[in-house]
Amino acid sequence: MSGHALLVAPFETLGFMRGALVACLALALANGAVGTLLVLRRMSLDGDVLGHAVMPGAAIGFLYAGPSPTWLSLGGLASGLAVAALAGLIAGGRARHDAGLVAFYLVALSLGVALVTWRGSNIDVVHVLFGTVLAIDRRALLQIAAVSSVILLVIAALYRPLAVGAFDPAFLRAVGVCAPYGAVFVALVVLALVASFQAFGTLLAVGPMLLPAAAARCWGLGVAASMALATFFGLAASVAGLLLSYHGNLPSGPAIVLAGGLLFGVSLVVTSTLRQLAPTIRGDA
Amino acid sequence: MLSVGRMEADGCVALRDVTVQYGRRVALEGLSGRFVSGSLTAVVGANGAGKSTLLAAIAGTVRLAGGALDCPARERLAYLPQLAAMDRDFPLTVAELIALGGWRDFGAFRAPAAALRARAAAAAAAVGLASRLGRRIGELSVGELQRALFARLILQDAAVILLDEPFAAVDAQTISVLLDQVARWHHEGRTVIAVLHDLDLVRARFPTTLVLARRCVAWGPTDVALPALAA
Repeated sequence: MSGHALLVAPFETLGFMRGALVACLALALANGAVGTLLVLRRMSLDGDVLGHAVMPGAAIGFLYAGPSPTWLSLGGLASGLAVAALAGLIAGGRARHDAGLVAFYLVALSLGVALVTWRGSNIDVVHVLFGTVLAIDRRALLQIAAVSSVILLVIAALYRPLAVGAFDPAFLRAVGVCAPYGAVFVALVVLALVASFQAFGTLLAVGPMLLPAAAARCWGLGVAASMALATFFGLAASVAGLLLSYHGNLPSGPAIVLAGGLLFGVSLVVTSTLRQLAPTIRGDA
Repeated sequence: MLSVGRMEADGCVALRDVTVQYGRRVALEGLSGRFVSGSLTAVVGANGAGKSTLLAAIAGTVRLAGGALDCPARERLAYLPQLAAMDRDFPLTVAELIALGGWRDFGAFRAPAAALRARAAAAAAAVGLASRLGRRIGELSVGELQRALFARLILQDAAVILLDEPFAAVDAQTISVLLDQVARWHHEGRTVIAVLHDLDLVRARFPTTLVLARRCVAWGPTDVALPALAA
């Protein structure tokens, strides 16, 4: 098989592959920045839970208007923000909130599945859980592009407080910063997850956000460079995953997440090997 | 660099019946008194005596359950919480960490000015970190990190400086460097309030002491107040 047939032809001949590619690329641009901050803030688990928190609202949107991307997104956004606020309340009242987070995750997931099955079919449930990246239409594509742009602009504007708040929130408070940047960031995560939801479903939406960022984090770069590398990894995982799904006849969303997972695994092994070798090399020199 | 007169005018911290609660637990009860502008005070007491809570209350990061706290220099206050509060794995260089001390100058949205870099380098030199500016904070020892945080405090150019156990888990040489910096701040007329455990150090270097046990046990010249801790 020629390189062209392997790498280019699937996107050249099939409109839905192109649509999926553009959607994934737009998502990767926002996810690189959001995911890096998520990893640096040690909020990966929160991101996962928020991914499921989108589900009941999206299901209500589905019940109301069928599989309309607008209503799925609006419903998902509402329930995602509601759960984030509730989890924040719990965290405010008590120390760390592991049990509360997992409780939200289970309840949100079950409620969403129950709501979708009530009016829809098993196919609908599968779509909501794992997404339909190959069925992204023009309107959904525009939504994804718009949301990704907004996320990038907000992070560009609030970059410094978001970054400093990630490692030394006490310092921000001490210099009199009282704007709720933490809450703004959680809202950005929910927005990114809602944008991802159509393509990757509630179970996988956090994957394209977390895995490229976790992979980039292994390389020990600064914050901005980590964001850039995470975006690059996200783009690479999207292209590789889509091609893998085309040639291997695999579901696309999971294939993209698997490609991201592979990048994470390789980054982990390569960087830890380099770190072990580094003192030896220095010693020889 | 700073006029001492201005410091004396606004560096005082006055407390009237200050009470702080975490849920139902009372951490600090009915504390009244005044940190005189330009004073150097050690806050001592057993674990759970409300020392850290007092600093957090002055810094304005915990809400008072009762009483009033007057700190005219609130806008020119610097607060160094205990080390554990910071994520040391964060990919940040020492120079970037120190430069954050200029936050009030550049704020959330503007880039730090070039002049700030020179000030950061000077502050690093003052605490013996000049050769470490390009290092990641994760590569520093506990003592070096504390030196970097002191350099950040220098840049904050504050009238009131709050230090929460600044010498815990720090090597002797670093303690000596940091104590010299504390003495310089005192000499410049800044108000310094430090939570400490090492009583010999308090006796040797801190003229005023506040002994806490959730409420005020003694507050005054160290040789008078400190014996109340043992009693």
